[in-house]
Amino acid sequence: MILLHGFGQRYDLPISLALYLYAAAGVVVISFVLVYLFAGDQVGAKAIHYSRRPVPALLPIARSRWPRIVGGIIGIAGLLAIVITGLFGSNNHPELNPAEYLTWVYFWAGLVILSGLVGNLWYLVNPWAAIYDAVSKLVHVKPIWKLPNVGVWPATAAYFAFACLELTTGMANRPWLVGVLALVYSVVTLAGMFLFGRDEWLEHCEGFTVLFNIIGRFGPVETERDEAGRISTVYLRPWGVGLLQPSPAGWDRVVFVILMLSTLAFDGILYTRPWSDFNLALEPIWLPMGAFGFFFVRTLGLVLLTVTFLLVFITFMELVIFLGKRNVDVKATISAFALTLVPIALVYNAAHNYTYLVLQSQALIPLLNDPLAKGWHLLPALAAFKPNFALAQASTVWYAQVVLIVLGHVIAVYLAHLRAGERFRTAQRALLSQYPMLLLMVMYTMTSLWILAQPITREAG
Amino acid sequence: MSRNRIAVVAGVLVLFVIVGGILIYASRSGGKPVTLNVTVIGGKTMNPPDLAAHQNDTVTVNVTSDTDGEVHLHGYDLIFNAKKGQTVSKTFKADKSGSYPIEWESTSTELGQLVVSP
Repeated sequence: MILLHGFGQRYDLPISLALYLYAAAGVVVISFVLVYLFAGDQVGAKAIHYSRRPVPALLPIARSRWPRIVGGIIGIAGLLAIVITGLFGSNNHPELNPAEYLTWVYFWAGLVILSGLVGNLWYLVNPWAAIYDAVSKLVHVKPIWKLPNVGVWPATAAYFAFACLELTTGMANRPWLVGVLALVYSVVTLAGMFLFGRDEWLEHCEGFTVLFNIIGRFGPVETERDEAGRISTVYLRPWGVGLLQPSPAGWDRVVFVILMLSTLAFDGILYTRPWSDFNLALEPIWLPMGAFGFFFVRTLGLVLLTVTFLLVFITFMELVIFLGKRNVDVKATISAFALTLVPIALVYNAAHNYTYLVLQSQALIPLLNDPLAKGWHLLPALAAFKPNFALAQASTVWYAQVVLIVLGHVIAVYLAHLRAGERFRTAQRALLSQYPMLLLMVMYTMTSLWILAQPITREAG
Repeated sequence: MSRNRIAVVAGVLVLFVIVGGILIYASRSGGKPVTLNVTVIGGKTMNPPDLAAHQNDTVTVNVTSDTDGEVHLHGYDLIFNAKKGQTVSKTFKADKSGSYPIEWESTSTELGQLVVSP
């Protein structure tokens, strides 16, 4: 059987029709309430001013080296565990290989959700940054070459490749491949950092760093540095508002954000009836290609979905700018608005992966007894551990999903409102310009809900 | 946003959450005995492929197969040791809601699923 998702069984039930309709109605009603309340709000730079609370208690922790040291050790240990168990553990039974759980459950599903909740954790656990920092303490390193002006296109390509590994190759459940790719990517990243400079490489070419920087903006922790680069204040802020902070503009950044949205949606769409129909309709094309056909049809689907998302977004943005009636820098405006969609993507990610994360993360525990499937008994007490389903009961999951989706929608609409106020001259114009964005967000949230309400289809191979 | 407006948005959200909770937790059924009979053909297909129960039902699954082999119900982690022409039965409490695949273990062929709804 070919696993639909990158790795691991999903036991989710689609949310019931009644709940789906209720949530959809809630989204529409609350959108109108927000628009009504926002009418005649502030415009200009003041509009995106948000309240944040300094937390002096967090300053010593933020200034201390320990979070980086502990995080770095966790990151390096995780990377080593993925490479070692991937290469030398069970290869025929991915469900018995820790590399799969560490990569797809703990890192990919877990760290993304957790970072949205508490802040950019990748900054602390990035194993390559930790290795680089440790080495540069011992020997003096200086970049040899200068990175050309490539924007974040290389990071976008890296992220797309990773998404393909997860979603379109059908090979994500091969621990050996996961181990090899982790090793190759480590070599490339470290080489890039040493040759072109640590931050130059991480911020332009390392897909996960760019991704987690965006997710970290959603998180509630904010720091300010003094001239010497030392952290001077630590703030707590409401979730989401960090996305309003100034950020570099460019089509590369827009495509990266849209790719975040489309890959997340695609992961859910793969389980739906329309996807099976699409697959079936294209069978005459991909079936003769043999093993490659599977990869082809899925990658095609992912690319088409990304292009559709991008075109829809740009069309709506043109409308926003037209109604805002102001000569704005189109690229900068579109880049700034793209970030306001991030909350919807993050809550959808949490809703979609909640059960998967709760159940599959527990499945790693019994494997600690024998991580390489060699018949060891390292921790016999854990061998008989059975996952607890208490947090994954459908009623609870549905409830959490619906509440999350609506909260994310509210945050996104609010951010877009503030952003419009900042970009357009009069409150009336700003309000008018918001309607297309509101419609886009309602459509996007509805798509998320729709995916969650689809009966799960499975492919038998 | 001024305080009043935050209060209005929070109020609407709280109302939404409370009504949603009632909607979800009020409509529960289950706790009844359910018997499900299935036939597995050639270790490849199961008839019927989709089994349904409600949470807390006492479910009895009777598996009849025309070949020897193991039928595995995931999630509940139950194994039916099917023997050619015989019926194997297992009774369990459906205490976990979700959609659980049923596989022919030796080839990992998916035969169908058990859907336990709340």
